Amino acid sequence: MIGTFFALVAKELIGFFRSWGLVAVVLYSFTLDIYITGAGIEMQAKNIAVGYVDETGGGMSGKILSRLHMPEFQKPVMFTSREALSRSIYNREIMVGLIFESDFEKNLKKYGRSSIDMLLDSVAATQSFQALQYLQNILLGYAHIGIPVELKIHKLFNPNATTSQFMAMAEMLSVITLLGVILTAALFVREKENGTWDIMLLMPIDPKLIILAKSFSQVLIIMGGVVIATGIVLFGVFDVPINGSIAAFFLLSFFYAFTSAGIGLFVAAVSKSMLQVAQLSILIMMPLIFLSGAWTPIHAMHPLLQKLSLISPLRYYIEGSESIFFRGTDFTDLWSYFAGVIVLGSVLYFYGFRKIGRLF
Amino acid sequence: MAELEIRGVTVKHGGITAVKDASIYAERGEIIGLIGADGAGKSSLMHAAAGVIRFEGEIVFGGTSFDSPREAERLKPKIGLMPQGIGLVLYKNLTVSEHLSFFSKIRSLKEDAALNDYKQRLLKMAGLERFTERPAGKLSGGMMQKLSLICTLIHRPSLLILDEPTTGVDPLSRLELWKILEEISESEGTVTLMSTAYMQEAEKMDRVYLFDSGTIIASGTAEELNETVKEYVYEPVACRSDRCIAAGHYTYSLDPLEAPHKEPTLEALFFINALKRGVEIPEIEVSERESEEPIPQVVMEAKGLTKRFGDFVADDHIDMELKSGEILGLLGANGAGKTTFIKMLLGLYPIDDGELVLLGRPIRSAKDRQGLKARIGYVSQHFSLYKDMTVRENLLYFASMHGIDAKKASSRIDRYAKELGFASYMDSLPTELPLGINQRFSVAAALLHEPVVLFLDEPTSGVDAIARSQFWQMLKLLKRKWGIAILITTHYMSEAEYCDRVVLLKEGRKVADDSVENLYKKHPAAKSFEEIFLHYYEDGR
Repeated sequence: MIGTFFALVAKELIGFFRSWGLVAVVLYSFTLDIYITGAGIEMQAKNIAVGYVDETGGGMSGKILSRLHMPEFQKPVMFTSREALSRSIYNREIMVGLIFESDFEKNLKKYGRSSIDMLLDSVAATQSFQALQYLQNILLGYAHIGIPVELKIHKLFNPNATTSQFMAMAEMLSVITLLGVILTAALFVREKENGTWDIMLLMPIDPKLIILAKSFSQVLIIMGGVVIATGIVLFGVFDVPINGSIAAFFLLSFFYAFTSAGIGLFVAAVSKSMLQVAQLSILIMMPLIFLSGAWTPIHAMHPLLQKLSLISPLRYYIEGSESIFFRGTDFTDLWSYFAGVIVLGSVLYFYGFRKIGRLF
Repeated sequence: MAELEIRGVTVKHGGITAVKDASIYAERGEIIGLIGADGAGKSSLMHAAAGVIRFEGEIVFGGTSFDSPREAERLKPKIGLMPQGIGLVLYKNLTVSEHLSFFSKIRSLKEDAALNDYKQRLLKMAGLERFTERPAGKLSGGMMQKLSLICTLIHRPSLLILDEPTTGVDPLSRLELWKILEEISESEGTVTLMSTAYMQEAEKMDRVYLFDSGTIIASGTAEELNETVKEYVYEPVACRSDRCIAAGHYTYSLDPLEAPHKEPTLEALFFINALKRGVEIPEIEVSERESEEPIPQVVMEAKGLTKRFGDFVADDHIDMELKSGEILGLLGANGAGKTTFIKMLLGLYPIDDGELVLLGRPIRSAKDRQGLKARIGYVSQHFSLYKDMTVRENLLYFASMHGIDAKKASSRIDRYAKELGFASYMDSLPTELPLGINQRFSVAAALLHEPVVLFLDEPTSGVDAIARSQFWQMLKLLKRKWGIAILITTHYMSEAEYCDRVVLLKEGRKVADDSVENLYKKHPAAKSFEEIFLHYYEDGR
């Protein structure tokens, strides 16, 4: 029984390592793909091109412009007319345009108040609104309105507020989900495509053992990927802190890998070809990832979607992992995340198991 | 100069030479045959002649020479190509008449009375005039091939290239396909280049070229070719030297034997060629089985087994009995219901109607089968084994699935490898093996647990003559030494000769079930099994 189980697992692992294309895809997903997401998706305002038209002839306007500097802003570019500035924004050469009207400084001195026209290319919404916020802060510094309250900000868990660390982690968790589903489904569907399915059915072996061994072998591959991604990409490249127990994270990942394998079993049961596996996996994965809070914080979602996100196992996995890496939550306080992953995971795995078991 | 001349053509597929330095010629109105196993290079050469793949060398047709697909473009209106595979060029939702108008439109033929007459003539030749409104998907395999052929003929090509048009087609439809070909080549002067898996068809060809691993080993009319090997072919006797092969109903020897000569078939050329080249052909051996488990007298008993797919009845109330120590051949054309029947026996398809008793146990549910799996061996169509594991790894995997302990398994695997002649391929992947080796290795995988019954689904398709004779030798030894029952399906009617008893299926119904001897007695006039089966096919119409 145990011997047969390991023979089945070994066969799948040999098959995996022999197909170098598959190995390459898995390695890419667990390293470069996560790196690109972490390094490439930049939500912070950075390197913003600023243009201005100054009709005042310097003074106050110059002081304000001098506060726009690297890394958030490029050196402001002067334009001679509003039309030229508008054209540049239209051509996407400039993201933020400032217009100091001729009476800007006069009004400021005379009445103590004035206004600046600001043109924003808000296609890249997050970045342009962050730029707006920066500018407001700069202007606030000159306003001397004198509210006697000062904000002292303590950034918790991610003191530099770098999004790349969180993005890299979230991407890794999405990769685990996607590969867990596709690899498991592929294992069964490849047998259907190659005609070995019938041979498998005729083995004098309990089908349950075959299903269990096959999905377990893919969980092992995923876990290998998790170790590589955590060690090399998260810790090595992005310096993600580990404030909690790394063992707890691996344990949570292990349960989660079974969850995605369960979805994979379902996909395998209803697909006849690899093309269908790819289509179905994407169809199932997308809502799962969007509802998980990987890309949008859950508190920012529509209330209905917030409720729906409760049934995405990825939500518990992401929140749990976040707590382990950044918040350093104690193992004993992680139970709710473990419970979420295990309960939803068992339901999904059991369903997939039953579904594919019926084909035997 | 001949109408078609293929001069020194070499075709390579990504570094592998498929055809080497092949030369063929054909006169107007000739039907030229290319004969050989799968992978021998027939298709590659035909695709080169059709101007659809790149090649080295030169091809001249009707005075126009080309050496690349680009240059062949000018000749395309004169060429008709029908690729391998039943109904491959057809669209299953289009009717017969829609097919003819579609193919005449893509060939931009002028829609006039002459074209209409020609269409009617083609339909009549193919016997399809009553079925013009039937969708291609609802035609039988034989009708599909006839429709494919007349669609290929619609633009009156002067060079017709047909890749195994008759493989898997029932014997009657095969005769009809031949009638169309003969009529067309006579009336239109068309040059026909066709490959075939049936040696008997060679007799109707003006000239045949025999292919063996990418080279043409002989050419001429069937009669001329047989003449060249006549002196080496004998009635079956034992061999004593390595310049001699005993293969089923024949013995081939380069040195004279003290045995009566026998009339050769084209297969003899492959054996003689191998002997002359000094190719080592491993002797197949089978030793006794290790298990002493008794084998029941009646292994399988089916009563009225029926399988339906929607409206289509794949198997219609079939009765069959399989006894131990018997090789039962399940014969029929593609789509006759052979594979479906085997899959019902194995439980891969649910049985819609009828009763089945396997190894003395009535089968009603999947549970009834679970215990029997360890006593059944099965080789599926195309020898499906795991492509990413070596031969040894595959065999070890199958052994462990059957719970055979590792030591026993590896000694058994080594023994099979030696006896069945694939010991030197143990560390190769199945995709790297010659088809014949793959075939025996697949059977070895199905024999590891020493089953009492063996089901083989089309194991001989596309395999070369030598490997095929070794295969039948293996089955014969298994029957004798192990005493097990063997059920084998095939669409080669000539292979009936190797079976003890044959069951002939036609469109899902059983039309004959008798021992080979009795069938010969009942049809004394028949020269070959092909002819006997033709009777049953014609009676059924």
